[in-house]
Amino acid sequence: MQILIIGAGDIGFQLAKRLSQEKHDITMIEADPQKVKRASEQLDALVLSGNGASYRMLQQANLDQMEIVAAMTDSDEANLMACRLAKKSGVQTTIARVRHPQFTQPDFVLSPEELGTDLILHPEKETADTIVHLIHKASATYAVEFEGGRIELLGMRITQQSPYLDIPLQYLGQEADNLHMRIVAINRDHQTLIPRGQDALAPGDQVFVICDHDYSSQVIALAGRKETHLKNVMILGGGLIGQFIASNLEHEAHVKIIENNITTAERLANILPHTLIIHGDGTDFDLLEHEGLLDMDAFVAVTGKDESNIITTLLAQHSNVSRSIALVNNAAYLSIAGKIGMDVVVSKQSLTVNAVQRFIHQQQVASIAGLPGIGAQVIEYIAGHGCEITCGELKDVRFPHNAIVGAVLREDDLIIPHGDTQIRPGDKVVVFALPQAVNELERLFQEERSRSRLSQFLHV
Amino acid sequence: MHFASVIHLQGLLLMFLAASMLLPIPFSLYYGDADYSALPISAGITFVSGFLTYKFTRFKQDLWAKEGFAVVTLGWIILSAFGALPFMLSDAIPSFTDAYFETMSGFTTTGATILTDIEPLSHGILFWRSLTHWIGGMGIIVLSLAILPFLGVGGMQLFKAEVPGPVADKLTPRITETAKILWGVYVLISAAEAALLMLGGMDLFEALTHTFGTMATGGFSTRNASVGAYNSAYIDYVIIFFMIIAGSNFSLHYRFLRGDFSVYLRNIEFLYFVSIIALATVIIGVDTFFNQYQSLAKALQDTLFQVASIQTTTGFGTADYEQWAFSSQFVLLTLMFIGGCAGSTGGGMKVIRIHLLIKFVFSEITRLIHPHAVVPVRLRKITVPPDVVTNVLGFFILGILVYIVGVFAMAALGLDMATSFGATAATLWNIGPGLGSVGPTDNYAHIPFLGKWLLSLYMLMGRLELFTVIILFSPSYWRK
Repeated sequence: MQILIIGAGDIGFQLAKRLSQEKHDITMIEADPQKVKRASEQLDALVLSGNGASYRMLQQANLDQMEIVAAMTDSDEANLMACRLAKKSGVQTTIARVRHPQFTQPDFVLSPEELGTDLILHPEKETADTIVHLIHKASATYAVEFEGGRIELLGMRITQQSPYLDIPLQYLGQEADNLHMRIVAINRDHQTLIPRGQDALAPGDQVFVICDHDYSSQVIALAGRKETHLKNVMILGGGLIGQFIASNLEHEAHVKIIENNITTAERLANILPHTLIIHGDGTDFDLLEHEGLLDMDAFVAVTGKDESNIITTLLAQHSNVSRSIALVNNAAYLSIAGKIGMDVVVSKQSLTVNAVQRFIHQQQVASIAGLPGIGAQVIEYIAGHGCEITCGELKDVRFPHNAIVGAVLREDDLIIPHGDTQIRPGDKVVVFALPQAVNELERLFQEERSRSRLSQFLHV
Repeated sequence: MHFASVIHLQGLLLMFLAASMLLPIPFSLYYGDADYSALPISAGITFVSGFLTYKFTRFKQDLWAKEGFAVVTLGWIILSAFGALPFMLSDAIPSFTDAYFETMSGFTTTGATILTDIEPLSHGILFWRSLTHWIGGMGIIVLSLAILPFLGVGGMQLFKAEVPGPVADKLTPRITETAKILWGVYVLISAAEAALLMLGGMDLFEALTHTFGTMATGGFSTRNASVGAYNSAYIDYVIIFFMIIAGSNFSLHYRFLRGDFSVYLRNIEFLYFVSIIALATVIIGVDTFFNQYQSLAKALQDTLFQVASIQTTTGFGTADYEQWAFSSQFVLLTLMFIGGCAGSTGGGMKVIRIHLLIKFVFSEITRLIHPHAVVPVRLRKITVPPDVVTNVLGFFILGILVYIVGVFAMAALGLDMATSFGATAATLWNIGPGLGSVGPTDNYAHIPFLGKWLLSLYMLMGRLELFTVIILFSPSYWRK
């Protein structure tokens, strides 16, 4: 597909990188020469330098040939203007990133059609929602929903108290009253493995489970951690994300925000009447302790600085705060987060990229989610007619060994598949895959097409 | 530096080269060449070497600029060695030094030859000789990018290292698509030229070999007297037209073929390129008209042909310009340095670089008069980024330095002054015929052994535009 991405900042860059890897044709517009340079050196994309909200510039980027325009700059006005111009020029799909919450509020005066966007993305709000979701699912380290919430992918850390330690997974189903779930991956000693029947859970494992939404609370019990009641929450950083989290939680818990900019702190105090705003430096550990870090049920670090977020979250974990969540935006940090003992990290970039990808993939692939830190993906495929996967029972199909089918949604039934399950055309199949398996999977789910002789030869 | 990846790609390029060695075989069989076995044997050796290299090395990760330089430079050096096999196996050029020089001259589209008598060579070998031009013209690496899309971002690094010009033009989001377009346009225009040449009375073999020489701005002919042997105004003008096409930016041709008909008029480099040809033709034409021909038509035809041939760095000949006035010869020497446009198959410093340099000089003058003035270098209202201007300056200085060293080395090897100046310029800027004893009616056979290797290196530096090659000689490149 021809995709135009406006803005090559953190979000635009990551988005272009992911989409370009998926063999889409990417054109980018960026005003900052430094970012233009970085993008054109590191991406297989056409990067133009200029203002993405200018019609002349958009025309230069062949706007009329684009199928998707995604405006990802920091400026709401520029993004919306670019989308309107694109819509008016006949672009099929437009996606705008916004920062101000008004655009997605139900009583906002302009409808998305009038704004000229098919999807309004709110990375800050999306991040805040994810964090709130994770706070509520006390033991989950990762949670994402598929099929409008029917299927859930949960990540969690197994503790010593888990009742299911050392039981081979093939018997786990009986032990756990036929839970409607499938363990798709275990991250043990920094290695991701796809579990087989004889593998068993061990304390310290990070496991990823695909399950029926109705069973999610039982599944979380696997981890063996007690659900705690949410009473006290501390948020470090009073930016947009912190503000959204606080306004979400302030009616059910005591929320404290620590913000070091006095103007921001005063503004927050006006907007959030039930939240206690503390003006102070969040990296000052004495201050945190004084403000009762030890008594907190949840600690969230969402300042603009990844480093502060990581350090303070580690400190909170050390002080036995049961829920410590850090916002980490630098993709390079994500991969080491697990190694330094941080279970729960949330990345604004990867959430946004996932959201865009999910939206773009609506046709061939129903949904997709990247798991931060372990480099794996959960992809929801729709089995096409005559594709290889439907040719026999799962155990007979040459399925890549670094991927696993987690769940099959057939009409309205959720099936947790076994070796003798056969996929039928039209089924929605949720697959967990390491990156090496993705090409093979695509072949399995694609309607038969002749592969070029040359590429066959070169892969001997 | 990922050496394994670099070597791995060499294997791939060699397999491509082997495939292209099969192309002359039909001609070889049709004309009943006695040395018909040389090409398939060379193809076999090349393929097996390439395949083994490919199988026993692994491609590790994305290429960065650093590996890109190594892949391209090493690729051209190795391909020239294997491309020399048919010449040696067929006994057309038994010495490795000579065969290597000839192949490098072919791939770099220089067209300098060590052959004293071309016509007795078999058809298969002559076709291969011209085919090396055609492959090298648009670039074998660009060709492999077009066919194998797996390189991704690394492809851009290779593309930048092989495509001439200060900034590599990307026509489409994906580098593979851009490479496909460039080769597509190249094939299309080549087909048109071959058809027009056949209309002028050439047979398919001659039409194709001369098309390869023109479109790649190479200059190998199948006749001792080059294009002059046909003695036809029609053929001369067809080749003049296509030399100018080949010497201008192929992305312009693409846009033109897509229906943007005024694209040439809007491109400042193309306008300068054409104006320089016109101006040089007038200056030299005055000399040739009064002193040589006394016929306006003949003077125009021959002057325009030699000017276009030298300026586009093709090197075909229809007249011996060494008979012309020294001033005319000096104009031609200057044209050698200017060369074709960026993104063309031509050599030289490229018109756009010269244009930017002149603009830079004028902006310096303005700065001296108004010390506080902000004077960016502009191309048609668009400011040229300062790093591009510095790069062009660096290129110019390096080009002159390398040239001086080359002239000195040639003179030290015992060649006379005109030959030293001419041979160095004609190889460094990929023209072919030079001055003195390497003029349009002479050849490079008499150059000493060391000189041939040095000039081979100069041809490579010219084709890959200096930096790509010279960077490999810099100690900091090899530092971890």
